[in-house]
Amino acid sequence: MSYWGLNFFGVIKHFFYTFASFIAGNCSIENLAIDEIQVLVLVFIGISCALIGSFLVLRKMTMLANSISHTILIGIVIAHVILQWFFFKDIEKPFQIDMQLLMLASFISSLLTLFLTDFFNRVLKLQKDASIGLVFTVLFAIGIVLVTIFTRNSHIGSEIIMGNIDMVHKDDLKIALFLLLSNVLLTVVFFKEYLITSFDSNFAKLSKISNWAFTYLLLLQTSATVIGALRAVGVVLVLALIVIPPLTARLYTNRLRSMILLACLTSALGAIIAVALSRHFLSVYGLPLSTAGLVVVCQFFIWGASVLFAPKKGVLAKYFFNAVSRVTAANPS
Amino acid sequence: MKKQINIKNLTVSYDRKPVIWDLDFSIPRQSCVGIIGPNGAGKTTLVKTMIGLLEPLSGEIDFFGKDNVEMKGKIGYVPQRKSIDWDFPITVFEVVQMGLYSTLGLFKRPSRREKERVLEVLKSLKMDQFADCHIGDLSGGQQQRLFVARALLQDADVFFFDEPFVCIDKTTEQLIIDIFKQLVSEGKTLFVVHHDLNTVKNYFDTVVMLNTRLIAAGPVEKVYTMENLTKTFGQGGLIFEEALNLTSKSQEGLKYNE
Amino acid sequence: MNKLIPFWEFFTDPVLQASTISSMLMCLASSIMAVIVFIKRRSLIGEALSHATYPGIALSVLMCAGLFTKAPGVFPFVLLIGALISSLLGMRLITFMEEKLSVKSDSALCFVLSTFLGFGVFFASRLQFSHPIWFQKIQMFLYGQAATMLSIHVILYAILTLIIALFVVFLFYQIQAIGFDKMYTKVLGLRVNLIESLTLILIVIAVVIGIRSVGVVLMSGMLIAPAAAARQLTNNLSKMFLFSGFFGVISGFLGNYFSVNLSIYLMQVRPLWRVSLPTGPMILIVAACITFLCLILAPNRGLVTRLYRRQKFQLKVLRENILKEMYKTGSGQSFIQLGRRHRIFAPILLIVVCLMRLQGWISKENKLYILSDKGTKKACRIIRLHRLWEVYLYTHLGYLAENVHKSAEEMEHIITPNLEKKLSQLLKDPKLDPHDQIIPAGDG
Repeated sequence: MSYWGLNFFGVIKHFFYTFASFIAGNCSIENLAIDEIQVLVLVFIGISCALIGSFLVLRKMTMLANSISHTILIGIVIAHVILQWFFFKDIEKPFQIDMQLLMLASFISSLLTLFLTDFFNRVLKLQKDASIGLVFTVLFAIGIVLVTIFTRNSHIGSEIIMGNIDMVHKDDLKIALFLLLSNVLLTVVFFKEYLITSFDSNFAKLSKISNWAFTYLLLLQTSATVIGALRAVGVVLVLALIVIPPLTARLYTNRLRSMILLACLTSALGAIIAVALSRHFLSVYGLPLSTAGLVVVCQFFIWGASVLFAPKKGVLAKYFFNAVSRVTAANPS
Repeated sequence: MKKQINIKNLTVSYDRKPVIWDLDFSIPRQSCVGIIGPNGAGKTTLVKTMIGLLEPLSGEIDFFGKDNVEMKGKIGYVPQRKSIDWDFPITVFEVVQMGLYSTLGLFKRPSRREKERVLEVLKSLKMDQFADCHIGDLSGGQQQRLFVARALLQDADVFFFDEPFVCIDKTTEQLIIDIFKQLVSEGKTLFVVHHDLNTVKNYFDTVVMLNTRLIAAGPVEKVYTMENLTKTFGQGGLIFEEALNLTSKSQEGLKYNE
Repeated sequence: MNKLIPFWEFFTDPVLQASTISSMLMCLASSIMAVIVFIKRRSLIGEALSHATYPGIALSVLMCAGLFTKAPGVFPFVLLIGALISSLLGMRLITFMEEKLSVKSDSALCFVLSTFLGFGVFFASRLQFSHPIWFQKIQMFLYGQAATMLSIHVILYAILTLIIALFVVFLFYQIQAIGFDKMYTKVLGLRVNLIESLTLILIVIAVVIGIRSVGVVLMSGMLIAPAAAARQLTNNLSKMFLFSGFFGVISGFLGNYFSVNLSIYLMQVRPLWRVSLPTGPMILIVAACITFLCLILAPNRGLVTRLYRRQKFQLKVLRENILKEMYKTGSGQSFIQLGRRHRIFAPILLIVVCLMRLQGWISKENKLYILSDKGTKKACRIIRLHRLWEVYLYTHLGYLAENVHKSAEEMEHIITPNLEKKLSQLLKDPKLDPHDQIIPAGDG
């Protein structure tokens, strides 16, 4: 069951073979190889991010998502403190995420972000862009200081940035699955509310749909997903999974549903390719490279290829179209 | 059911600065009302307050006996074209379908019958062949019709149009006037924020002239006079503006020069 | 390890010197550029540009590890150039996405931010297990490691900061014009594109200097906080640059100061913790505290000042209303009568009455308050303003006589002497108001 020594195509073949036999009932979850867990975690998180990312991009809230990805650090610290002092939970490892921590921390950080950014903007009358930037950098700085004090290890910080998918565990799979199901459920159930509040907030208000509630819900989802993804890809790289697939998908379609589906698809595809490549580099060249980094690199190249080759909106397609129309204009026959 | 839309002593402020001050007028049903005034006079603010998007500081809004909270969902709003993100991945059909959302509730989806209604409305505005098109592909006139269709689907009694005649060609202009006539003949009341003074007499039967405060409101022949136009667009209100500015500064806690 | 380190030692001690001075230089550079970015309302561009340096840094270190191991003096320059090129590429991509692909600004920024960081992480991982020491060198750029700066860094940063300062000094008017109205400036014929490109390169330079001190992740804060603080204190652009630079330099110094001394303090108080506070985040926290204080306490725009002024105005309204009332009723009134008539709480009424006595408007005789001459004059003036305003509304704005009173009740407290003169001129010094009451004359 191990992927040791396989190259890129070997990994893909083996993965789908295992997948097929899993469906056929010949395999059980207990025997998953680490590569398979990696792929599954990345696919689940990727799809979650693609779902919320599509709306975040359309609502121009990606910077707020970036903001949340920084404030979760302090959210986690506060959640730890609360759980330890009030509920006497003992935390063995600082960044072991379990469900309670996830819920509490995401709730705290999304509230903090929204409330403080709004406070600086409306009460203290600071420009909107400066409010967002100031709030998250400062909260992150405070978070680092607190983490340094509590864990005596300032290198924890780097692990947050890039995660550690090479240490991924079956428990992470549970969290990733939970997040996937919640995000899918919320997106499906509230699709039209999300659509209307994203497209025309005035009309939403007129239709008695609360803009504030759905903005907050989206941010809460973002917060929970980012924290859940902490282990897998780390904080800033989650942003890549939130932003890149929707932008890629947008190059192919003008419809929201297709865009979301395509974003999920590219995200999942990128995940599989990245893990396979990572194994490939290890097996063939002996280079243990960062899988998380590879995920981003793959997503970037998928996007880049789409910019060039997408039908109708791609650069080449437009060039071709212009050339053709110039030719036909010159020769009306 | 009363026959009038009444506005009483309406004051609306934005950021502590009064944008509309003490507005008071009545409009009979089935009127086509033009809202006239210079830039920054509060025309869009009046519309947004009447439809319930903004909270007034004081005053009452009365739609045939109901207040605008009860009327939510029954007011059609056709926004300014420039305030819409035409790049958004959404089709004509999906935009018009939004007209159903206020009645649909949180968890339900539109039924087949309701979807057919959407198509009917589109057909009535000759937009049915664009139902599946991306909104970014529409022409100016089609864009206007899009939001009218949405408002029609709501079975609205009162319609608000924000600058519908900006940057459109003659054909579309005629189209919109025809839509106005059609709606009025069906018993609807229309409010239109308008900027072109030359066309007021042709389009509207009633006019509301404002410049932060009400200058005049009533039938076009009586009220749309040179005298009122001077008061609306003229300089006599300069002292008033300065006083308003001072008021807002003092409420904000900012220094104002003695 | 017991005594706290006094502030001058930060400049004299060879260990602390380089770190402190280069932090201060970096903060100066970034706070100057922060003002430019702030007035253009593109404060978040620092976030994208700083993350965009990361792949350049990683590749430079890779190169150094491979090629330049024998010439360590070259490192800072290679790193600088690598970071610069990488960040400029990031900027180019942002512009491309916004202009050619119609991507919204925030998405473009987040795209570049995350993608470039991802590439950086990927490149860096090449060294993670094979050359852990070199890997550490890359890692430290995430949060900065001011403590390991050398004199070469100080000199390099000093030169770059000087360039930035000179740029702003010599091109001040152009920067102001472009920030305010780019279109118009272009029409005037100024070389807007050239200046914009230069501005961009200098922002990138400021970012690149800064990440050594505060790191990639926190750099954007230093491109926002000092300018935001400065804006609260002044409306004048040149003063804004000065304040911002000042706050930047202080943050740079105090960040170092606190990170070292607080660590020492914590070592004494809680020796088991073995804490060593990182400098980068401390610099940022200091800068943010300064900004927060400015937002709250600034003399004109600060929150506290605004709230205070509002309260002051409310008290003024109260005092003037009491004055009017006393004038109209004529006789003296007791404290209780005043309280009841105006429905005010006793403690507030006490303050109000004291203020009025201080101002000489009223005096106390036999437990009753009566108006002084000064008070009478003031009351007359207020009534005059009230009635003038009523006349204005009635004659010029077409208000009905019964509707003018409410507005006048508010305006009588607000109309300045200047406005009063204009009103009087416009209305040709009327003698009667719409209710046929006499309007007191201008000076009596």
